[in-house]
Formats: sequence, structure tokens, C-alpha cells
Amino acid sequence: MPSNKDFNKVSVLVVGAGPAGLATAIQLKTLKPDIDVCVIEKALDLGNHNLSGAVLEPEPFHTLMNAAAPGWRDSEPAKDILANVIDKDDIMFLLGRKLAFNIFFAMKLGKALGLGFGQMIHKGDYSVSISKLTKWMAGIAKCMGAEVLTGFAAQEIMVDHSGRATAVKLVDQGLDKEGNKQPNYVEGELIQADFVVLAEGCDGLLTEQFIEKVQLKRQRPQLYSVGVKELIAVSPEQYAKFTSGRVVHAMGYPIWTPVFGPGMFGGGIVYAGAKDHLSVGMIVGADWKYCDFNVQDALTNFKNHKFVNQFIEGGTVVEAGVKMIPEGGYYAIPRDPETGAIGKANVMILGDSAGFVNMLKIKGLHNAIDSGMQAAKAIAESLEQPETAAQKYTDSIDASNVAKEMKSARSFRHVIAKFGPLQGMPLSVFGGLLPQFKVEPDYQAMTVANYRLKPNQNFDKDTFTAVAATEHREEEPSHLTIRDRTICRTKCTPIFNSPCITFCPAGVYETIHDEVKPANPSNCLHCKTCQRKCPFDNIRWTVPEGGGGPRYKRM
Amino acid sequence: MSDYIVLVKQVPDVSQITDNAFDPESGTLIRTRLASVINELDAQALAFANYMKTKSGDADAGIIALTMGPPMAEEVLRYTLSRCAHKVVLLTDRALGGADTVATANPLAFAVRKIVREILKNDKDYFVISGMQSVDGDTAQVPPQMAEELGLPCIAYVTDAEFKGDRFEFTRIISGGSQVVASKTMPVVVTVAKYEYPLFATFAATRWANQTELITWSSEDIKATHIGVKGSKTSVIRVFPPGKSTRKCRQLDGPAALAKAIMESFKSGNGESDTGADAQARGYVLPAKRADLLDRIFEATAKEQDDYELLSAKLRELGITDIDKIDEAARQKILSAAGDRFHKKTLDDMLSGYKLTEPAFKGEVWVVAEHSAGVVHPATFELTGKARDLADSLETKVGVCLAGYKVEQMAKELIAAGADNVYVIEDKLLEVFDPKAYRKAVADAVAKFWPQIVLYAATPQGRMLAPMVSYSVECGLTADCTGLDIKDSSRKGDIGLLLQTRPALGGNVMATIRTKNSRSQMATARPGVMKRIEPDESRKGKVVRHKVELTDDDISLEIVKTELGSGEVNFNADVIVSGGKGMQSRDNYERLVGDLCAGLGKALDAQVEAGASRAAVEQGFTERVHQVGQTGTSIGPKLYVALGISGAIQHMIGVANTETIVAVNSDPNAPIFKQCDYYVVGTVEDTVPKLIQKLQSG
Repeated sequence: MPSNKDFNKVSVLVVGAGPAGLATAIQLKTLKPDIDVCVIEKALDLGNHNLSGAVLEPEPFHTLMNAAAPGWRDSEPAKDILANVIDKDDIMFLLGRKLAFNIFFAMKLGKALGLGFGQMIHKGDYSVSISKLTKWMAGIAKCMGAEVLTGFAAQEIMVDHSGRATAVKLVDQGLDKEGNKQPNYVEGELIQADFVVLAEGCDGLLTEQFIEKVQLKRQRPQLYSVGVKELIAVSPEQYAKFTSGRVVHAMGYPIWTPVFGPGMFGGGIVYAGAKDHLSVGMIVGADWKYCDFNVQDALTNFKNHKFVNQFIEGGTVVEAGVKMIPEGGYYAIPRDPETGAIGKANVMILGDSAGFVNMLKIKGLHNAIDSGMQAAKAIAESLEQPETAAQKYTDSIDASNVAKEMKSARSFRHVIAKFGPLQGMPLSVFGGLLPQFKVEPDYQAMTVANYRLKPNQNFDKDTFTAVAATEHREEEPSHLTIRDRTICRTKCTPIFNSPCITFCPAGVYETIHDEVKPANPSNCLHCKTCQRKCPFDNIRWTVPEGGGGPRYKRM
Repeated sequence: MSDYIVLVKQVPDVSQITDNAFDPESGTLIRTRLASVINELDAQALAFANYMKTKSGDADAGIIALTMGPPMAEEVLRYTLSRCAHKVVLLTDRALGGADTVATANPLAFAVRKIVREILKNDKDYFVISGMQSVDGDTAQVPPQMAEELGLPCIAYVTDAEFKGDRFEFTRIISGGSQVVASKTMPVVVTVAKYEYPLFATFAATRWANQTELITWSSEDIKATHIGVKGSKTSVIRVFPPGKSTRKCRQLDGPAALAKAIMESFKSGNGESDTGADAQARGYVLPAKRADLLDRIFEATAKEQDDYELLSAKLRELGITDIDKIDEAARQKILSAAGDRFHKKTLDDMLSGYKLTEPAFKGEVWVVAEHSAGVVHPATFELTGKARDLADSLETKVGVCLAGYKVEQMAKELIAAGADNVYVIEDKLLEVFDPKAYRKAVADAVAKFWPQIVLYAATPQGRMLAPMVSYSVECGLTADCTGLDIKDSSRKGDIGLLLQTRPALGGNVMATIRTKNSRSQMATARPGVMKRIEPDESRKGKVVRHKVELTDDDISLEIVKTELGSGEVNFNADVIVSGGKGMQSRDNYERLVGDLCAGLGKALDAQVEAGASRAAVEQGFTERVHQVGQTGTSIGPKLYVALGISGAIQHMIGVANTETIVAVNSDPNAPIFKQCDYYVVGTVEDTVPKLIQKLQSG
């Protein structure tokens, strides 16, 4: 087996085969064809852990592809994946279960006046499946000679005294439920790398560890939203009525209604997918205050709204999933307090891990790809001095469109978190003019209040996880831990009635013998909502064995 | 120093069948739309080889993986390299495509010979390890047939291995228990039924695997004698979707509703038990016995049937009765009358088909009897029932081949069950089942009397013996049939063929198969599917003694220890309560299954027996003798209660004949819920005590 070469050493290690990580690999191979770049991904197959709406703003993607694979537009995947070009862009305000008003004119007005929310116009963008997009990008990266290895989950990042990453440790495999070694036990390997690119997605395990280890700082806490999405097979008539180039964003009901509430940030989406398929989703700010709230309940209400229902009634949910979205914006980007680097030394933080989501556009995909390209350039320029890469990367980001966008949207989400959707939305127009103020992390927002529009029936989480095709080895140790069980018993259950049982979209948490437990870790969809929403910050998520988790194919 | 040659196969991933994988027109599964993965049991076999290597303490032992398939099958070889294989060989060639098990086993055996010559430098100290069967074929035929070609002993259904200083002793599953055996000689072929710890890929080995050159051999390189479609001895003539399950699959909201459903269905009977394709069989009549030569109502495929019906109708319309007198002008007339549905060649073939009255195969219909401790296996009686049916249609006799020691006394019972002739092969060396010795005995008898059909039970023993016998007498074999019918393929010149219908791809499609290039048609049939006939003690039959020369060298395996389950188990009880892995512990199993058995016995006034899934037996919750399923006992009670059983296909096959199936499982996605009548989603600890309480209160 491995003999004359140390296969545990690579020049560039990218953690996470999403759009950001793969853009790094592709761009790097374009710039330096001989460089040794390896992308590791915890999912079983490419695209399996990638979920988004998704609206793709084409610019950075086109630039990346034009340089890497000229003629890509005529390839089969391009024709399939980029088939839905957006030509109809609706923004609806829903009031109650039946009324819907198109307020797209307001966005146009906003754009004309140069106001922030005018950015929320999507014409000419693509409505895509990010699972498919990722798989395609990985294929291109591999063709260019990058190694993209699935089924390898990174558990820890090793850092020396200067803040330089020396290695990444993979998860131990082959332990039983109690943590004993089975006959097929393999200790997590150490992968040494000159450069480490953290492109893990939202709330990345290594990213947060690294931030802690080298003391990067966020000016304001990261805020999250939770997005659930279903891909629904509809009739040809319904699809024709919706049209294949249309995206709908909805505000208001069922998460925000005037006067009596509920008052949550977020909204619903309906995007055209491939033939006779529509993506229907609900995104809600994780600072919701209702202890019995579950985003899937809002999705149910949204789907039952007359405006949405007309397009999906009688349809079949063929795939479903959930993810968190980092919404804290510009001030929540983790930086070195001294140098301002987004990362440190030879480590760069990209895409959703850094929080490059523009909340005015509610899009981050283009920024993820853009950040991947900047990281590649920074690496290419610091091959002799890897410890300068993070700084070069940051300088390049700060001078790029990514930073420009992030700055323009810098206060949007925090203003709403602070003042609530009703006052916050109008205030956000003043964007950066407002002084900095303190915002609490999402988990501190929980109250004993109830969600007034709770549907009569519990959401069918079993079917949801079944179509998400999630699977983990049943015998492995739980990758979810409750830090202090007495808090559950003495505080959380008596006060809030254990919200994790309700809000976990996969039904992982259950009360067994009067104790709240992550009873079904094998159902986990890797969204990490529990880690950010437990009202006592009492839950920790770590990676399970590689290959576990959902298996999205068309999300 | 032993080396290990591990056989692996790339198969479609039938665990993840997406909604677009089925052809909307025909309803059949489109294989190319499924992802490709390594066959799960082969992954276990690879880990088992590594386990043996570790046990032997020989760090230098080589592990060589071999696969045959299209070029993309290299993925499974990379799988093995990223875990523990040192060298891999890909056997790929268009000429090897379309092969049945014979034309798969044969080139694989030739490839093994080449590996031994070129990589192992003729060192004969090696094991060939493979999974027991593949998930797409489910036949378990290739390894024993390969062993037969290589002239090696084969140890099948292995679950464990122990290194005893100079040799390995293997634990394997046998009907009703387990057995520890060792091969008397090396090399040896081992098939793995279960090894719980498949290996994980390592990062370093995966990178190495992606850069390593594979050894690729073509058909030319190995010079095998039976390859591809031409070398095959069976061919698939029809693929169709399985019939809709007749199980009700009704979810009940709790123990109270479940208790009610159990009481009601037990009293009224479900009335929907699945009898398979067998029930629909129309009594076949040989052409010579039909009223009219134009009568062709037993054609093998729907297309052939339609064509003949059209042609016969046209001939009658045109008033043609004498086929021999059809001249060129008449042919033209027929062709245009049929609206040019036929090519001229087709018409010629079909017309000469009318003249055929003689069956394509000749001889008796045989059943190879299985027995232990002087008792005939119940599956054998099901086969004599079926054989009676087939033989009556073909106007021939039913023969039973009964090999063993002091077995002649069983002949009477076999005759009562439908046999005309019982061929008894008695030898002290046949006292216990040794695959090589039994193969020699049965093959010898087959080659002497040449029956036209030979049926075996698809038990662990039958699935081992049948491929070795069929390979040695150069006949085709179809595994695990659920339907056996006599049909004609008149257009192709064949009358009275045995059509063998079986599920494939994990039960997602059905395939109808015929034997070709063979003197006898052979099949194994699933226990519990065919119906035994009422024993008739007055039936007359003949005992024919057949002598086969056997020596000690014909015994390939040394039996170290046999463990048949302790205690009497009455699987003829009306109610069987089984526990699976979901029981969590032996305590739970004993308490919950025991209590429910008692509770049901009282409430229904019926005999109740405890059963278990294979997983529960492996976990040590109960003894092997209680195991229900394909590798345990096949049962057909009025009521089957499955507690904490996931519903793996091997288990469900074993309970297919049950009238009512009830399941309790905490996993809402458990496959068993799609194959049962009533189910409750819940833990067994919670549900069972409440169910017992509800049963008591009526």
C-alpha cells in the first residue's frame, strides 16, 4: 500500500466540497496546474450536503468557468443545471391565509432610489439545484487534477503557537455506541497541509474551533436563519401556470402579521425547478421567540396559503432538507483583531463559514464562489510564504465586490433583530447610518410565548427525513451531546417544555424515561439548529463518521 | 503464508430506489438509473479476509481483489484498495457481457488460475473469499460453481473464523443451527453470510487507490471456456414488475387498535395470503393432446402468444388446415391477411412450430430430497407436490433423488407425497452433508438417468448443492424460483419448456428464465411458495437403488462441531411471535416475546411459538433454532407478530406464506411496514405490555 509517498500530506487542503471550496480548487488549478490540492467532504457523495433555494447570480461563476473550462456553456450539465433563467421575479406580501399582494414595484422603486433592498431583484439569474451544481463543479475540479474525496469528515484543526494550522484531524471511525473500539476501528488520520481552506458551510465545526483557538473576533454575534425546503413534483398544468423562469419571495403570513403577531423575520420562497418540479421553502430568523415554534409548521401554513397552494396542490414531495443561513452580515465576519484577516496565517475562511451572505439580496452563493477564487489567488501568490495567505486573501476580499456588497447590507439583519420586523424593516433603509448597537445571540431570544398559528397536526418529520434520505451508521456514538443534563430537567423542560423536541426538523430529540435526549442521531440532517437555538446553549454538534447525513440529489 | 483472493461485484443500489427509476410504460426497474455500489456482502467479505489475515498473525499475507464487469466496475476495486487490498484485477470485455452464473463463474475461475500463476507464483496456500450472494442476482450460485470449476472445496454461509495454529475453522449457518468446519485441503472457497464490521476507507489509502494502476484482463487473457451469452446456460425471456403486494400495510395508532385487529383477523383469516405466480398456473397440455394443432395457448411470452393467436385466427379464416400444403401463394395471402404483422421468416418459423408436438426435453421430473436425522425437510414435500403437477402436464414420472445413509425408510413418505420413483443412494460417507460427496452422488445419478427437470429446495444446503451439481453436469440452473410453469416456445422450436420465474434486484423486478444448451432444466425453489399435496398412503411407487463409488477423498470438509438449536421448536403453531434486533437485549427478548406468546395463547386459544430474526440470533438473544427466514426456517402460520424486526428481504421471504403479519417497530421507515398487514410505530418495551393488557381485556 502507500509506500514511497506520504499520502497524509497535501499542499492545499480544502475542507468542504461546496461551491466555495470547489471554486478554490478550480481556480487554483487554473492558476497553478501542478499544485497538489485536495478537497475533503463529509457527505457520502458530491452534492449530498448542499442545499439552497437556490438563486445563482451568474457573475463570479461565469468568470470562474470561463477561465477554467472554456466552452463549458455548451456542455450537457450546463444545459441541464442552468436551464432555468429567471425572467419573472415576484415579491408577495401575504396577509392571512388567502390574501396576497405583489409588492415588486416597491423593490423597483427601491432600486431606482438606490435604497438597499432594491438589490433584491433576480432577473437574469439562474434558479438552480445546488446539489447538482456542486456535483458538476466537483467533476470539473477533478478533471483539472484536483482530488475531491467524499466520505471524510474533519473533526479538529491543529494549530501551532503562531496560529498556523499544522494539520487537520479526521474523525475516528468504527466506535460503537458507548465509544468502544470495534474490530474495524480506524483512528482519525492527521492530514498535514501547507494551506488550509475552511469552506465547511454555515457554522463550520473546524471554523468555529479555529476562531476560538486563534482568537478571531466578530464585532457582533453571528445570527442565523433556518431554512426548510421541499422539492415538489407538480402537474404539468401547475408548472406551466407557474412558468419555468419564475421565482417568488413572500413576506408576511405565516411568520409576521401586523398588530397581533406573530413577529418573526424571514419569508417563503417558491422557485421553478426542473421540469414539473417546484422548490417551496420557508426561511425564518433563528431569533424567534416562540418556544413551541418549528420552521416546518410555518412551511405547512405557507404551503396551505391560497397563493402557494394553487401551484402545488396534489403534488408529491420528492426531496426535502434543511440548513442554517449565516445572516449576521459584515460585522459578524470573524477577523483577526490585529490584522483584520479573515482567517490567520495559512488558514482562510470562506463562503458561509465566514458568513458572506448578503441579506439585502438574501444570496450568498455568488459570494461563496467569489471568495473561493480569491482564496485560490492568495494561495497562488504565497506558495513561498504560506503564512501570508490569510492576509492576502483578506486584502483581496476587502477590495472585491464581496466586501462591497457585505458593507452595503451591513446592518440590515441586526437592525431587524434589534427592533423587530415592523420597525426594523423601515429603519434598515438607513442601513449603515445607524450607530453600532448590541445584539444578543439567537438562543437568548427564546420566551415562553406560543406560536399563534400552530397547525392542528404535527409536521410529519418522518417522511421529511425519509425523502432527505438521511442515514448514519446506527451503532456509532451520538454526534450530538447535551452538555449538562440537569439544565434540561430543572430549567428547560419546566420553563420552555424542551423546544429542541419541536424545532429539530429531523425529530432527533425525544423524551425517554423523563429525560430529553438526542435519541435518534441517525436522523440528523446536519443543520445544527439545535446548537444555535437551544435556549441554554446546552447542545453541541460534532461530525459523525464520514458518509453520514442527508443524501440530497436535487436540492 | 496464506493469501486471499476476494471476489467483489458492482451492483445497483437497490436500497435507494428513486421515483424516476421505474419505466413508466412497463413498470420495470431501469437498472442504469440506480447508483452503483459495491455489493454489501462483498464489502463484508473483504473485511472478513482482512479479519482472517489479522487472526492468522501473518502481516505479509496478500489481499487481491477480483471483479468482472464493465470498465466502470473499477470503482469497486478502488473501494477495496482504499481499505485493505494490495492488488486488484479487473476482468472486462464485451465478450463477457450478458452472462448467467455459469458464464460468470467460469471466467472468474480462469482469472483466479491466472492470479495464482502470475501473482501468487503458484503458491497453493490461498483462500477465495466472496460474499454469499449479490443483491442484484440473489442467486448464491457463482462461488460454488467457481469452486466446482477449480475443483476446490467450498464452505458456504460462513459467519466466523477461528485460527487454530495451522488451519482455520469456520462457523457456518446450516438449517436449524450452526456448524464449525475446516477444509481438509487448501486452497478453499469461502462465502461469507455475515460479517458485521465492513472496513472504513482511510484518507491515505484512498488517495493511493486513485493513483494506482489496475491490472486489467480481457477475455483473451484468461481463455475461459464458457463466456457471455453464448456460454450461458440460462436466458432471461421476460422481465416484469412484481405483483402488487396483497398485504394491507395499515398503520394503527396504538396497542388497543392492534389488539382488536389481531383478534379479528385471527378469527376471520386474512384471506389474502400470497401464493405467488403458482396459483395462476393453467394446466399445461402437450400439443399432441390438444384438440387442434392450431391451438397454441401456452406460449412462453405475451408476444409469442399474441402472434400465434393472430396467425391461428387467420389460418382458420382462410380455411387452411394442412400446414404442409401451404405454398408460396398461400404464404403471401396469410401475410397480407395478418396485416403484415410478420416478417416472412417469422411466418416460416411459426408455421413449422405448428408441426412440433414432441417436448424439447425428455425424462422424469426430479426432486433432490433434503433431510436430516432421518426426517425429510418440509420443503422437499412442497417440491414433490410441484413436481407431480409438472410431470402430469408433461406425461412423465416424478423421481426423487435420496442420497444419504440409512435413508431408504423415507421413500415411503416421499411416494405418498407424489413420487413415482425414489432413487436411493446409500453410503456411510453420506451420513452427514458434505458438499463434494453429495455433489458426486447426485450428479452421478442425474447423469445416469437424465431427468428433464431437477428441483432443489432453496435452503442453505440446496443453494449449495444445486450449483455444484448443475455445473458438473453442464446444465443451467435458476435460483430461488417462486413460479415454475410449463410453456412452449413453438416459434423457436421448443415445446414443453420449464419456465422459471424469480424475483431479482432485491424483489424489485421479476424475471422469467429458461434453460438452454443443457440436457436437464434445473431450479431451486423457495421454501413456502409451492404447495405440498395431501399425502396419499395408498400411492404406489418404486425404489431404485443407485450405487456411487465414494472414497474418503470425496469428503472435503471436516466437521468439528454441529450445534443444532436446543429444545423443541414448533413452527407449525398457528401463531409465531418473533423478536429482532430492536429487542435490545436477551432479557427484553425473553420477557417481551415470552409474555406476548403467553398472552396471545390465552386470548386466541391457539398454539404460539417464539421466533427470531437472524440479527437477534447473532446478538445472542435466543438460540439459532428459533431463527425464521431464508437462512432459518420458513414458516406459514395464521398470525405472525414481528417485534423490532426491520424486514430484510431474507426474513420476509421466510414468512411469505403467513396469513396475517403484524409488526411493531420504532423506526417509522422500517421496510417491514410495507410488507405487513397491521403495524404500530413505537418501541417494543412500550407497546408490548400494553398490547398484552388489551388482549386480556378482550
